[in-house]
Amino acid sequence: MWITFRHFMQTYVDDVRYGFRKYAPDMNNFEVRQGVDAQGAFTVQYPDEKLAMPERFRFVPFLVVEDYDHEERPGKDWCTSCGICAKVCPPQCIWIVRSNDPETGRPVPEPEAFFIDIDICMNCGFCAEFCPFDAIKMDHDYELASYDRTTNHIFDKEKLSKEFRYWKTIAPTRAIEEAEARGGWEHKDAQKAARRGGSARTSRTNQDTGRAEKREAVASREAVAEAPASATSAEDEKAKRREAALQRKAARAAKTETAESAPSEAEGQQPWNDSEDEKAKRREAALRRKAARAAKRADDSE
Amino acid sequence: MGVDVQQVVDHNGVQTDQLIVNMGPHHPSTHGVFRMVMELDGETITKLEPVMGYLHRNHEKIGERNTFLHNIPFTDRLDYLSSMGNNHGYVLAVEQLLALGARYDPPTYRAEVLRVLMVELNRIVNHLWALGFWLNDLGAFFTPVLYFTQERERILDLFEATAGSRMMCNYMRFGGVFADLPERIHSVSNLINDRVRDFDTMKFLTEMINERIPRTIDELDEYLTQNDIVLARSKGVGYISREDAIDYSTAGPVLRGSGVAYDVRRADPYSIYPELDFDVAVQQEGDMYSRYMVRLIELRESLRILKQLLPRLEYTKGEPVNENNAQYSSKVPIGEAYGRVENGKGELGFYVVSAGDKRAAANPWRYHVRAPSFINLTPLGLMCEGNKVADAVAILGSIDIVLGETDR
Repeated sequence: MWITFRHFMQTYVDDVRYGFRKYAPDMNNFEVRQGVDAQGAFTVQYPDEKLAMPERFRFVPFLVVEDYDHEERPGKDWCTSCGICAKVCPPQCIWIVRSNDPETGRPVPEPEAFFIDIDICMNCGFCAEFCPFDAIKMDHDYELASYDRTTNHIFDKEKLSKEFRYWKTIAPTRAIEEAEARGGWEHKDAQKAARRGGSARTSRTNQDTGRAEKREAVASREAVAEAPASATSAEDEKAKRREAALQRKAARAAKTETAESAPSEAEGQQPWNDSEDEKAKRREAALRRKAARAAKRADDSE
Repeated sequence: MGVDVQQVVDHNGVQTDQLIVNMGPHHPSTHGVFRMVMELDGETITKLEPVMGYLHRNHEKIGERNTFLHNIPFTDRLDYLSSMGNNHGYVLAVEQLLALGARYDPPTYRAEVLRVLMVELNRIVNHLWALGFWLNDLGAFFTPVLYFTQERERILDLFEATAGSRMMCNYMRFGGVFADLPERIHSVSNLINDRVRDFDTMKFLTEMINERIPRTIDELDEYLTQNDIVLARSKGVGYISREDAIDYSTAGPVLRGSGVAYDVRRADPYSIYPELDFDVAVQQEGDMYSRYMVRLIELRESLRILKQLLPRLEYTKGEPVNENNAQYSSKVPIGEAYGRVENGKGELGFYVVSAGDKRAAANPWRYHVRAPSFINLTPLGLMCEGNKVADAVAILGSIDIVLGETDR
């Protein structure tokens, strides 16, 4: 009986402390009430207030594509349609159509179509765990309700594709770990191409940038950890946070704009829109590379 | 059941009707979809039949279709309140087979420590939930559940940060666990209120084990153990004798509440339990109150285990948790294995047969789950005989079933 009373009183005292402004959109208030030292029991007012998800939180997968403002491969899929995710999916809800070169008929390492039935998906994270190219990742977007029962929840490639940048924002530390395992921020194949001299950027610089970014990230995390939560600096903190939030919001808005406008801009640069001479050029380059490889192999064997 | 519903029985001048009452399948007090057919004499139960199967999901047959790896997330859906324990049992069974000669490294010491840590935290979650809903059945409408849920939330936060999901953890792998504990519980990413619960994982865990959970358990003890209503409603109700408990092959708190000191962690030690210091909770009366006391003592024992795990977590820092085992299709050698763990509900066993079929060597040929909820339900009729209708609900709550596991 007294325990119930105590809980009630704690909640009530907290209410008085905030002058019953429970629903005021005051982030500081929210932080204190939902924080570690909170007394009493409070409801998170869901649509207005949202608790943050941890990095490893997993909801339906998304496909990683290269940033739309990438210098060499804007918007290119990281997926090589190897099919491991479809194999390892426990409820078998991934469907991949492999693409072939229309002229030679040989397979091209990118998916032509990629479907995930998110009604069947059980959010286990195996596809992201076993993908050798880090091309499929688990999303944080859990608000997927819709009025449609049949077609809306079968996500196609367009709906699944999100920029690599997005993955770096939702899971910074994991992105860094994966980049270290890959040996750079670029896709594995891009790195291979770079090592073969097909690109100006070498993987070494990538590694350096990766390290620098990691240092920055660690520094920022330390800063966050050391940030005093005392009452004196609460005002500065609040101001800083609001500024950061506004910046993020602006960045998000800008990103969505670019995301909306980028495909139309990049349409002209897509490989299937190339003119015939460019295709011929590419073929020649490929043949040259092949010959170079054969020569190199011959050298090695000697 | 042949009951003459026209018959009127005379009890010392009080006349009672014979009737059949059908409780379920979606009565709110049956913890899911479970049906009881009760034969009543007035208000006293003369006979009770449990009817299961309303949530049958073909789990074992699906398990034969799946590869061994695919079954790990499916085991989460059995007893959906303690998915870590389910994962652990299944992984132990398959690891026995893998040890017969597959390309497989046994789990490192840190992986074992992490497994036991998660399983014990999950036991606390499970018991808090079970006690809360048992009290709910006794009529303490949702107040205790709310206080226990507050603590449960913290533990689930840790699960979410470590495994990626609050209840369907999918954390264990063959020869290790999915990933190490994260450095910090919450990321600093794209939400304005991210700083709400952002702290160092080890600090969070230490505080939780040394302060928060003990406080909750003491509160629960003080609040309920000597409470008059709890005593009056549960002392001597739902009795099952020691012999009957063994004959019905019950397990877990139902068996230990009847004075049989049987705990799989002692009887057949697995993982690092042999080196941990804990007691098996036993109560002698065999009624609802002693089952409650068994759960209360087990909460404290789990805390003892967790306190011993903290230093082990410190000195195994940095060990790999799952190396050389990240294969997306593990070929399992021919054989059969039975892995069992002591879950919150009782002895959970997985019987796996790998027949090494040429066409699908990656699938189990037979996959069977020994579900404690299902087997603990069988003596329900025996426990309810002679009690009132209102007690039947409470007795069901004291057995602590989860229909996901009962019906599979």
